[in-house]
Amino acid sequence: MLRFLLTRCASYADAEDALQDTLIAAYRYLHSYDSRWRFSTWLYRIAIRNAQKIRSHNVVEFGDLSDEESDPLLHCIALSETENLWLIARRVLNDDVFSATWLRYAEDMSISDISKALDRSDSWTKVNLLRARKALDTEMNRKNDGSEAYG
Amino acid sequence: MDKLARQLKADAELIEAQVSDELDRRITASLQAVTPDRPRGLRVRQRPAAFWWASSLTGVAAALVLIVIFNSLSRPAGVESPQVAEVSPVPLVMAPTIDWKTESAMLTQPLQQELDDLQSDLKKAEEKVKQDIGL
Repeated sequence: MLRFLLTRCASYADAEDALQDTLIAAYRYLHSYDSRWRFSTWLYRIAIRNAQKIRSHNVVEFGDLSDEESDPLLHCIALSETENLWLIARRVLNDDVFSATWLRYAEDMSISDISKALDRSDSWTKVNLLRARKALDTEMNRKNDGSEAYG
Repeated sequence: MDKLARQLKADAELIEAQVSDELDRRITASLQAVTPDRPRGLRVRQRPAAFWWASSLTGVAAALVLIVIFNSLSRPAGVESPQVAEVSPVPLVMAPTIDWKTESAMLTQPLQQELDDLQSDLKKAEEKVKQDIGL
């Protein structure tokens, strides 16, 4: 979950705060947990909300300070020859579609669990996962073509 | 799993994130300071429909028993319940009775003789009436 929050927050400290808030909220409101859901789905739903809350709070308080230097994802990605796909995903997808893509491919969640976590319909999730794949494919092909042309 | 999905999974694992000891302590302390909220208002447990049926039937049975007991206690001892006549409960339409003020004829002779006597009596009475009224 901390990995996911690192992709959603402006700094490592924010991601840690979001994780802490998520666990506290889950513990406090445990009585409202519906056992028909997977526990991880419920936790992710809280985490997504907390990450959004922290980001919007930062924007209101300090303006948009997101820059490459403080970007936790850039600092936490191990060096590799190719650009990490999640960096591309974050660039080309909007917040909800990025979250849906993460829950699907990093957490192996089902479509219905993703829909519950994001409070969206199943059809929205299916359509946007397909669009995300297309967007990522296009971006990767564009990069590959560019590097071949450059090379 | 296709190539893109495999790469997304692999790239997610390349993100190095570890909960530090300091964060772990912070979270533990926060959790110890927090008490879980209780649900607002006590929820009344939903009873099954059979419960309501059973309670209704029990109520009806109790009412019937009370009625029977009350009736048996309120009846005086030794009084039999009246016999119900075996007649039609529909009231008969009674024809108005006419009081004829007649006497039954004492039939002591054969019928023809009696008829003759009656006719002669009637003739005599008729003549007497005519005399009385002056005809």
